[in-house]
Amino acid sequence: MRIFWNGAAAQAREGDTAAVALLRAGVRSIGTSRKRHRPLGYSGSFIQGVLAEVDGVPNVRLDQLPVRNGLRITAQNVWPGPRFDVLKAARLLPANRVRGGFEHPNWLPSGTRRFERWEAMLSFLAGEGRLSPAFPARTVVPGEKRRADVVIVGGGETGCLEAARLAAAGKSVILVSREGLASTVPERVTVLAPYEAFGVYRSGRLIGTAPLDPSAPAIVVETAELVLATSRRSCPPVVPGNDLPGVMDAPTALSLASRDVDLGRVVVVGTGRESDVAKALRNFGQGIVAIESIRALERIVGRGQVAAADIGQRIACDTVVHAGPWIGDPNLAFQAASEGRLRLAKGQLPPNVRVIGSAALPDEPAHVGSLADARHAAICPCMDVMGAEILDLMAAGMTHVEELKRQTSCGMGPCQGLPCWELMRALMLKASDGRHGNDRPSHRGPRRGLTVAQAAGLDGLVEPQQ
Amino acid sequence: MSKASFERPIVIIGGGIHGIGTAFHLAHLGFTNVRVFDAGYFQGGASGRNGTLVRGGFGSYEWTRLFAHSNRRWIELSKLLGENVMYTRRNYLIVAQSEKTQKLIEPAVPMHRELGLRSEIIDTKELNRLAPCLDTKTVRMAVNLKDGGVAPHHAAMKGFLKAARRLGVAIEYGRAVTAIERSDTRITGVVAGGERIPADIVLLASGAQSVAVAKLANVTIDAFPQRIEAMALEPVRPILRPAIALPDRLCYLHQTARGEIVGGSEVPERPQDTLTTDLPVMALTAKIYAEMFPAFSQLRILRHWAGMLLATPDWGPLLGLHPDLENLWITTGWSYGIAGAAGTTELMALSIAEGESHDILRPFAVDRFRRGKPVAEGAIVLAPQEPVAA
Repeated sequence: MRIFWNGAAAQAREGDTAAVALLRAGVRSIGTSRKRHRPLGYSGSFIQGVLAEVDGVPNVRLDQLPVRNGLRITAQNVWPGPRFDVLKAARLLPANRVRGGFEHPNWLPSGTRRFERWEAMLSFLAGEGRLSPAFPARTVVPGEKRRADVVIVGGGETGCLEAARLAAAGKSVILVSREGLASTVPERVTVLAPYEAFGVYRSGRLIGTAPLDPSAPAIVVETAELVLATSRRSCPPVVPGNDLPGVMDAPTALSLASRDVDLGRVVVVGTGRESDVAKALRNFGQGIVAIESIRALERIVGRGQVAAADIGQRIACDTVVHAGPWIGDPNLAFQAASEGRLRLAKGQLPPNVRVIGSAALPDEPAHVGSLADARHAAICPCMDVMGAEILDLMAAGMTHVEELKRQTSCGMGPCQGLPCWELMRALMLKASDGRHGNDRPSHRGPRRGLTVAQAAGLDGLVEPQQ
Repeated sequence: MSKASFERPIVIIGGGIHGIGTAFHLAHLGFTNVRVFDAGYFQGGASGRNGTLVRGGFGSYEWTRLFAHSNRRWIELSKLLGENVMYTRRNYLIVAQSEKTQKLIEPAVPMHRELGLRSEIIDTKELNRLAPCLDTKTVRMAVNLKDGGVAPHHAAMKGFLKAARRLGVAIEYGRAVTAIERSDTRITGVVAGGERIPADIVLLASGAQSVAVAKLANVTIDAFPQRIEAMALEPVRPILRPAIALPDRLCYLHQTARGEIVGGSEVPERPQDTLTTDLPVMALTAKIYAEMFPAFSQLRILRHWAGMLLATPDWGPLLGLHPDLENLWITTGWSYGIAGAAGTTELMALSIAEGESHDILRPFAVDRFRRGKPVAEGAIVLAPQEPVAA
């Protein structure tokens, strides 16, 4: 079947996601960063790299969008158009010119018309896709409410086994999974897939879930117990070039390889599973040029996309795959356990919430190259936050994660802090010998988990607290 | 005033925008011994969680006088501080859908103008021009406050912080005031971080924590903490320039400089004393957007958060001396705290210097409920107050 990228036709296969189809067609950079408009690609780590306009709708996640014939995908955050994009000139700006606060310089004080014009221009540059003000016909997707003894989030082996076990024990179980299930579960288990658990409310007794398909209903579940089987993901390294198109986590690389996408010359780094991942990639016919511990990775080199990796020596390559360090997704557990009046902080998990499987394992520490190199590493690529900005603010005395977040906008883009806050913390810990960066900024739902239309459909289903 | 008078030790409890703003103005007036203590982190409270909207016009004379003054000060604030607070005038639209709201805001326009505001009644045609994405099907009319707009809190707070520090104010975050020492009639000092700090004047600017802090001095405040929730939609190219309040839906919103649509609404709940969020506000806000701004319905919700304010029986701020202590000044109970900050911080500093409340602040005296003199204000986006036990 055929899809269109910026007006040009490309071949896609049945079962591809749009992101896979674009890579198959040789499109490596899809999104751009917010301020400097640097290219970002399909990484499995940074969502900004897979956002584009699809059939007139902005900010669609291409890695979750199944292709269909005639799909029209357009790069966003461009002007006047994707083929001739003047905004790319922002790449010439040095990183230190767009640090937090650059948008309100003292030489352009507010209260003047000049500032208002500047601010209007910045909002244009920082905005993403275009939203048509024309009114769509249908604006609310009616939601649903269900009850269960247990909600399990995560459809991997662990989640499926737990669902089967609890169903056998006579409990009513709802299993929520972003993808298909790793194994079959008994018929008694209600499966919501592909659904995302976007929020945990009321100490884990109220769970918000929404389908990846924006036309299907969001479902809110009242439950006695919550089980998080959300597994782990590979954390990108804090080295220069870590956000170049062509850097990706192992699951993304494996899924691309399994769909016959040629990754070119591949370097695999990791925390122990790099050989297994390389072997699996080789079995799919990929060309592996180096396998190394991630600790050897000094920097990734390239202009606009990966060209080489420095791992003791410079290895020319097209793709860098990281298989570890493995970290859990802290968001839902944080929401379940958080409380506070002065600060929303993670407390003890309530007794009705359990974390199981690899999600319960301690996080592996993120890989941070030398501090000199880390200055040029991306911490939050969407917001163009580089290591130097964090390190310089720390040197100036700002060491509170919440203050750094507000000052730099780190983690305030589409990923909502994962992995950016983990990268920020890793850098802070290294720069302060473990004194700063031990806690996280507060994780907030629903991090793009549902649309306004889906959320609107939940109105009236849950009584306010009395 | 004498030199000694300017050297009096002043302690401000709370480093939100009213605390550090008043500290700046006190230093600007010449006070040389001003210290601010805050139990949390910079911008951790309502001054980092609010909707950032600024308007001068309300339904009542008292509110409009206070906020119109502040609106003017917002426009001038960058020049005064020497720091860019990023205030933008973008038309603030108060949209009436019910007859009740129309009857409340329409007659207020001449009063707005009398108080120096550029305020005008606009019809749905003009509304469509200013906010093309607003569905005006259910709208009767609107009031446009042309000098109203948005003060992004990160820039405003940073501006006050830097300017105050430059004038020698000591501002410390992560240092809670744990005790207040007093005689029968006066506060004599506070304890912060284990150290006793003598104080000749104390300003309580502790937002939602004010009741608890007042308790340290063994005095009461007629108010209670309450959670307010807001949410941000994912960024898009500019689509909504004005700031909008929908009093009939208890909803407000605007689009930020980085493209996110930020706003919130309210549901009738028992006041919650926590920063955790709940589903009903998000669902209701989304429903209002879907009805009033149908184009937003396909956007995704990025994040949803809560902040705490101190709710007073008439939703007005508590400003002035505490009736039970002769040197305890209060600036708390704010619900439109950002809107009021640029002007009230200045008037509060003047009041402290003079030893008596400025005329504009006087209707909001701390003891007005005891005296049976609340300030009636209807043109606000806040749920009518239920009597609250405890």
